[in-house]
Amino acid sequence: MTRSSNTSEPWRVGVLFSRTGFMAVIEETQLRGTLTAIEEINAAGGVNGRPLEPVVYDPGSEASAFGRYAKKLMVEDGVSTIFGCYTSSSRKAVLPVVERLNGLLWYPTLYEGFEFSPNVIYTGATPNQNSVELCRILMERYGTRFYFIGADYIYPRESNRIMRELIRNSGGTVVGESYVRMGASREEFLPVMRDVKRAQPDVIFSTVVGDGTVYLYQAYADLGLDPKVMPIASLTTTEAEIRAMGYDVGEGHITAAPYFQGVGNERNSSFVRDYKKRYGDDESTNMCLEASYFQVNAFAKTLEQTNSMDTEILRASVMGSEFEAPQGDVAINPIWGHADLWTRIGRANRQGQFDLVYESPSCVLSDPYLLGYGRSLGQKNLELA
Amino acid sequence: MQETIDIARFARERQGAGTKKDAGGRDAPSGPPSSRSFWNLKVAVIVDRNDDGERLIRELQRLRCDVHHEWPMPSQIPAQYDVVFCVLSPDLPQRLPWIPGEPASALVVIDPGAGMLDLNLLHNCAAHGVLHYPVTPRSVQSTLALARGHFLYERRLRGRIEKLDESLRTMRSVERAKSLLMRLKNVSEEEAYNYLRRQAMERRVTIGAVASAIIDSYELLG
Repeated sequence: MTRSSNTSEPWRVGVLFSRTGFMAVIEETQLRGTLTAIEEINAAGGVNGRPLEPVVYDPGSEASAFGRYAKKLMVEDGVSTIFGCYTSSSRKAVLPVVERLNGLLWYPTLYEGFEFSPNVIYTGATPNQNSVELCRILMERYGTRFYFIGADYIYPRESNRIMRELIRNSGGTVVGESYVRMGASREEFLPVMRDVKRAQPDVIFSTVVGDGTVYLYQAYADLGLDPKVMPIASLTTTEAEIRAMGYDVGEGHITAAPYFQGVGNERNSSFVRDYKKRYGDDESTNMCLEASYFQVNAFAKTLEQTNSMDTEILRASVMGSEFEAPQGDVAINPIWGHADLWTRIGRANRQGQFDLVYESPSCVLSDPYLLGYGRSLGQKNLELA
Repeated sequence: MQETIDIARFARERQGAGTKKDAGGRDAPSGPPSSRSFWNLKVAVIVDRNDDGERLIRELQRLRCDVHHEWPMPSQIPAQYDVVFCVLSPDLPQRLPWIPGEPASALVVIDPGAGMLDLNLLHNCAAHGVLHYPVTPRSVQSTLALARGHFLYERRLRGRIEKLDESLRTMRSVERAKSLLMRLKNVSEEEAYNYLRRQAMERRVTIGAVASAIIDSYELLG
C-alpha cells in the first residue's frame, strides 16, 4: 500500500482494562503491557510516521461498562480498533458492539474457547494450549482426584466442563466442586477450603480470578495444607497474583501459561529488562501482560503494511501473520483468528517466579473448538476410562 | 419479510378494489386491509409536531399502528416499542439505551434534510431504515416494513448463533453419554442414541440434560 505522505495525524486506538475493582490486579498489568508497547512504537517513530494515540477508559471490573465504553469508543471517539478485556463476560459485552459497528477487538487473555468472531483477534490461550497438557501432568505427578473451585461466571463453568471431560475420560474423578461469586470477600473462601480439606483431593483446579485468587491461596496456606502433595493448579494465576498473595503463599502451586517471566530467550530478556526499568525492579511480567504487549506490536506491524485502520483490511492482513513475541515465535492462526501460542507449565518458587515443569517444542496451533482433540489424554489411559 | 409482503399482496388481490376505503376510486398503493402486519404495532415517534411530523403520525395511525408521540427528544430513547421513528440528531447514538448489535426495537431515523448527510452518524446509530421528509404513504410503509423485517431477521440470526453455541457444547456431553451407554449396556451406537432420545421424551427434558445426568450418575457410582 502507499505510505502516508504528508499527514502526521495520530492513529487512534481504544484501550479497555480495569484499573479499579476486583479485576484491577491483573488488568492493570494488561494496561501497562498495552501502553508500554505503544510508547515503544511511538519512540521509534510511530507507524509510517504517525504515532499511536491510545484512548483509555476504566470500566471498573463491571462487564456491562465494557459494552458501554466500547460503544463510546466507536461512536464518540471514532475508534475502530480496541485492545482490551480480561473476563469472558466483559468480552461478551463488547462483542455485539464490535460486530455491529465492524470494529476489531484484540483480546489478550486466555479463555474457555468455543467462540469465533470475525471482529476479534484472540491472543490468549484456549484449552488445547493449556488445559490438555496441564491435566496430563497433574494426573501423572499428583494423582487422579480433582476438586474444582471457580468464580461464578462463564469462564470457570466452561473451563471446568472441558477439564471434567479430560479427567473423567482419563480415569480420574472430580470429588468436589464449589463456586464463589465474582468479587467474593475473603471470608467466603473459608468454607470452601474446609470442604476441600474434607474431600482430600490430589489436586485443586482453580478457576478463581481477580482478588479472589489471593484469598483462595491464602486460605489454603492458613489451613496448613501442603502444595507438594495437593497443589492448586490454575490457568490464570500469574506472577501478578503470586506477588499479591505473597511469595511464601504461592510457592509450590502450578500454573499453565504460554509465558512466564522466566522464559529464556533474548527477546524476553530485553522485554523484562525494559519493563523493570520502567516500573521498578520488584515488578514482574506475566502472560496477560505479555499477550497485551505482543498484540499491540502485531497490530502495528500489520498497520505498517496496510496503512489503513479499516477493519476488513487490517483483519485480512493480520490473519496468518507471524510475530516474534517474548514467549517465542507466535502466529495468528488464519482459520480461527486465535494466536498459535506456546504451552508451558510452571511451579511457583519462593521468589514469586515459575520453574518450568513442561514446555512445548514450538508454538501449538490454536483449536478453539477442540476439533482435533479426543476426550481423553492419551492411548495409555483409554482402558481405564 | 418477503413472505409477509407476498401474503399481503395476495390478500389485497383476493379482496379486490371493492373493500378499499380510499376515496375517489384511485388505485391506492396499498391500504389498511393489505398491511395487517402493521396493525397494533407499538410505534414511538420522536419528531417535532410540524406539518411533516403530523403527516408521518397520521400515516402510521392510518396503518393501524399503536402510535406514541414524544417531543422534545428524551435523553433516553424509550426501549419498550416495536419500532422507533426518531429524528437524526448528532447525539442520537448516545441517547439510544441499547448498545449497537443488541437493539431493543427496530430503529428508523428521519433525515431532516438540512446540512450535509453524516454517513458516519448513520452507521453509529445502527439504524434499520432511513426516512426523508416530506414523507409519502409509500415511503412510510416500505421503510416500516423493511426496518421491522431487518430487525426481526437480525434477532433470529442472533438466536440461531446462541442456539448453535449451546448445541456445540451439548454435543460433546451427548457423545460422552453415548459412548458410556455403549460400553455399560453393551449396545450399538444407534441404540444408545435411541435410549437417550426416549429418556428425553419420557422425562420431557432435552437430550443434553439426559446426557449430563447419565454422565453425572456414572461418576457418582464410580
